[in-house]
Amino acid sequence: MIDWKLILETIGILIYATFMGFIFMGIERKAMARIQRRVGPPIYQPIIDTLKLLGKKESVSHGFIYDFGPVFALGASIAALLFIPIANFQLFSTNADLIVVAYLLEVPMLGIMLGAMSSGNPYSAVGVQRGLLTMVAMQLPYGLALIALIQHWGTFKLNDIVALQQAHGWSITVPALLLALIVFDIVFQAMLGLEPFDIIPAPAEISMGPMVEYGGKHAALLFTQHAVQLFAETAFFAVLFLGGASNLLELLIKQIAVLFISIFIASIYPRFTIDQAAKFFWKWPTIIGIIAVLLTM
Amino acid sequence: MNEIPIILFTPLLAGVLAWLINVKGVRELIGVIGAATPLAFLAKLYPTIVNNPNNPITYQMTVSGFKVTFTLGMLNWYFAAIASLVGLAMAFGMVSTSKNGYDWLFALMSYTGVLGVFLSWDFVSFFLLWELMTFASFMMVLKRNRHESLKYFVLSVIGAYAMLLAIALIYAKTGALDFDSIRQALYMDAMLGSISKGETALIFVLFLTAFGVKAGAWPLHVWAPGAYSETDQSYTTFFSGALSKAGAYGFLLLYILMGAKLYYALGTFHGHLTFAYIIAWIGAITVVVASFLAVLQEDIRKLFAYSSVGQVGYILLAFGLGTGLGFAGGLFHVLSHAVFKGLFWLVTAAIILQTGKTQFKDFGGLAEKMPFTFAMGLIAVLSLAGIPPMAGFASKWLIYEAAISAHMPLVAGAIFLGSALAFAYVVRFLYAVWFGQRPSDLEDVKEAPLPLLIAMAILAIPNIVFGIAPGLVTNYLNKALGGEVVGGNYYKLVTQTGTYNALTVALLLVVGLAIAGLIYLYGAKARRIPVTNTYQSGNPVTEEFNLSIRRNFYLPLKEALAFWLRYSFDKFYERIAQLSEDFADTLREGFYNGNVQAYSWYLAIVLVILALWGVL
Repeated sequence: MIDWKLILETIGILIYATFMGFIFMGIERKAMARIQRRVGPPIYQPIIDTLKLLGKKESVSHGFIYDFGPVFALGASIAALLFIPIANFQLFSTNADLIVVAYLLEVPMLGIMLGAMSSGNPYSAVGVQRGLLTMVAMQLPYGLALIALIQHWGTFKLNDIVALQQAHGWSITVPALLLALIVFDIVFQAMLGLEPFDIIPAPAEISMGPMVEYGGKHAALLFTQHAVQLFAETAFFAVLFLGGASNLLELLIKQIAVLFISIFIASIYPRFTIDQAAKFFWKWPTIIGIIAVLLTM
Repeated sequence: MNEIPIILFTPLLAGVLAWLINVKGVRELIGVIGAATPLAFLAKLYPTIVNNPNNPITYQMTVSGFKVTFTLGMLNWYFAAIASLVGLAMAFGMVSTSKNGYDWLFALMSYTGVLGVFLSWDFVSFFLLWELMTFASFMMVLKRNRHESLKYFVLSVIGAYAMLLAIALIYAKTGALDFDSIRQALYMDAMLGSISKGETALIFVLFLTAFGVKAGAWPLHVWAPGAYSETDQSYTTFFSGALSKAGAYGFLLLYILMGAKLYYALGTFHGHLTFAYIIAWIGAITVVVASFLAVLQEDIRKLFAYSSVGQVGYILLAFGLGTGLGFAGGLFHVLSHAVFKGLFWLVTAAIILQTGKTQFKDFGGLAEKMPFTFAMGLIAVLSLAGIPPMAGFASKWLIYEAAISAHMPLVAGAIFLGSALAFAYVVRFLYAVWFGQRPSDLEDVKEAPLPLLIAMAILAIPNIVFGIAPGLVTNYLNKALGGEVVGGNYYKLVTQTGTYNALTVALLLVVGLAIAGLIYLYGAKARRIPVTNTYQSGNPVTEEFNLSIRRNFYLPLKEALAFWLRYSFDKFYERIAQLSEDFADTLREGFYNGNVQAYSWYLAIVLVILALWGVL
C-alpha cells in the first residue's frame, strides 16, 4: 500500500521548491540591484552559481563532520519543507504540527554550525557565536508571536490554521495577530539572514562567518540548502499569517510579497552589532509580543 | 516476602560488601551486580504492574515501632525504573573511573536511598531514605571538596528539616503518617476546613523548600554547580540523572497528597490553581536563569551542572501546569533528562579520565581521538537541544503543547528562550572540546575504556528508541495517569490540538539526508587537509597559532547581561553564612568572656527572673 500519489507530489514539490528558492535568491539580488540603480545579474544567476560550484574539479575537507554538516543542514531543510502544507498539497503536514516545523526550521542552523566549527577557522567560530546569540535573542519574540497565533486559533496543526483562516479571514485581520505579525516579520528578517540582522555571515566584517571555509560542492550544498530554506520559510509565513493558499500561484504571490518586504527593509538598513541586536530583540519585539499574547488570552 | 526489599537493599548490601572486600576486580563485580539487580527485578515485575494498575504490590515492615510501607504502583515503578537504569550506567562508568571502595559504598548507598524515596508510601520511610540519599551524596562530594560539600549539606539539611516540620504539622493535624490515610484525611479536610488557610500555606511552603532544594529550583539551586562538579563524574550521572528527580517526585507527591486541600485553601488565580501557578513560575525562572548561567560557564562540569538545573526546571514547569498533558510532558521529561544528561556526564567522565582537564581552554580537536565518545556526545547533544527524532524533543514537544494549551503563554515563552539557550550551550561544548585545533599535550589521548563505553551505550539507546517510538512511554503514562492523556500509537503522539509522528519525521530526515548525500557524492572527491591549512585573511598559519576561541566564547552575551550578573544568590548565601558565623563569634566572645563576675551576674539575673515569675 505505497501511496504513489503522495510520493509523486513530494518529488514534484521538492523540485519546484528548490527551483523557486533559487529564483527567490535571484529576485533578491535583482531587486537589491535595482534599488541601488544597477542592472544586476539575471534572475537565474544563483542556479548558475550553484552548478558552477558543483562542477569544481576538487574540493577540500577538514574531516567527517565538516562534510556531514552541510548534508545534515540540507536534509533537515528538506524534512522541514515536507511538513508544511504547500498550497493545495498537504504532503506530510498532518503528521507534525507548528512546534515540530518551527524546530525543524532551526535544525539546519545546527548543521551549518557543526560543519563550520569542525573546520577550526576562527572566523567560522565568530560566525557560530554570533549565529547562536542571534538565535537566543530572537527566540523569545519569535516564541511569543507563535504563542499568540496558537492561542487565537486554538490549534497547533498547520492545515487547521489554514482552514480556519479560510473560514474566518486571514490572521492579519485580527488586531492582536497583526501585532504578532509585526513581531514575526522582524524575527523573519533574522531568520532569512538579511540586514539589519545578517550578523551571522556578515560579509565584509568576518568574511562570511561560518561559511568561510566552504568551497566547491560543500558551498553548492549550502546554496541549495539556502534556497530550500528560503522557500520553506516564506511558505511558513504565508501559512501562518496570510491564510495559506489554494494553488501554487497564489502561494507564489504571497511568498514574493513577503520576500519584497524583507528586501526593502534589508536594502536600507545597515547591520546591527550582535549586542545591539540582542538588546533590540529583548525590547520592542518582546514588548509587542507580550501585548499580542495577552490580547489573545 | 516479595521482591521489594530485594530491589531496595541489594545496592546497599553490594556497596557495603564492595567497601569491606575492596579488592580490585571483585568490588567492581559486586558493585555492578548490585546495581543491575533492581533493574532486573523491576523489569520482571513490569507485567504485574501494568496488568493491575489499581492493585499495587506493597510490602510492610516494622522499624522501631513505626510501621513502614513500600508500594510499587505505576508511578513508583516508572521513577524507580529510570533510577535503576541510570544506576546501572553509573556502575559501569565507575568501574573505569573509581579506584576505591569508599566511592562504591556511598554511590550504591545513595542508589538505595533514591529507590527508597520512590517506593516509600509513608512519611517515616520516605524521610529516612531521603536522609540516607542526602548523606550518601554528601559523602561523595566531601571527599573532593569540603566547601562545596558543606554548602550542599547545609542547604539539604534546611530542606530536610523543613520537610520534617511539614510532616510534623500534618501528623499533628491528621494523626496519620502513611500516604493513603493522609491523602484521605486531607481530602476530607478540604471540605471541612479544619486546617486553616495559613497552616496549609505554611505546609506548602515548607514542602516547596524541601523538594526545591533537591530539584535545584531557583533560588535554591546554588549547591548544584559545586556539588555536581566536585565528585566522581560517573557518580554525577546518577546524582543529576536520578537523584535530582527525587525533588521532582516530591512535587508530584504534593499533588497526590494535598492537591484538593491546596486547591480549596488557596483557590485559583486567573483560572489556574494558585499553588500550581507558583510551581510553574519557579520552574520557568529556573529554566531561564540556569540556562543563561550555563551558557557563560568556562568549565565543562559547571556547564552541565547549570544545564541540569535548567532541565529540571522544565519538569517543575510542566508539573506546575496542573493539566494531564502537563504531567505527561513532565514525566516524559524525567525519563529523557535522565538518559541524555546521564549520557552527558558519562561523556564528561570519559573526557576527564582520559585528559585530566576540565576547563574549556585546555581542550580541542578530541573528536578524532575519541570517536565513539564523540558519537555518544553528539546523540546527547541532539537529544538535549531537542532535535527530532530524539527523546528530548518528544518530551519538550509535550511540554510546549501543555504550556500553551493551559493558557500560560509567558511560561511557554520561557521554554522557547530556554531551548535556544540550550542550543547555545551544547554548541559551546561541541566546539570547545571536540573541534578545532588540538593542543599538543592532547596528542596521545586514547578512546575511553570499555566499561565506560558500555555505560554510554546503555543510556544512548533509550535516547533513540524513545525518540522514534515516544508512544512506548506515553502509553505507559496514560495508564499511570488513569486516562487517555496522549493519544496515538507507538510512533505517533496525538493531543487534542496537535500531532507529532516521530517515525515520519525520522524517515523524512533520512530521505532528506539521502538526497543531500547524493548531491554530495555527485560533486568532485574531497581532499583531506589539516586544520592549520585554513583561511586566515590570506596569511599562512602554523601550529603555534591558536586558531580556536577557547575563552569567553559568549562574551557579547556576558556584556549584554552585565547588569543582571551582578546579582547572585550564591554571593547572597555566602554573605548570610559569613554573617551568622560572625554572629556566633560575637555571642561566644560576649558571653563566655572568662570573667567570673560576669558568670555570677548571669546567675543573679536568672534568680531575678525566677523571683519575678513567682517561683521563688
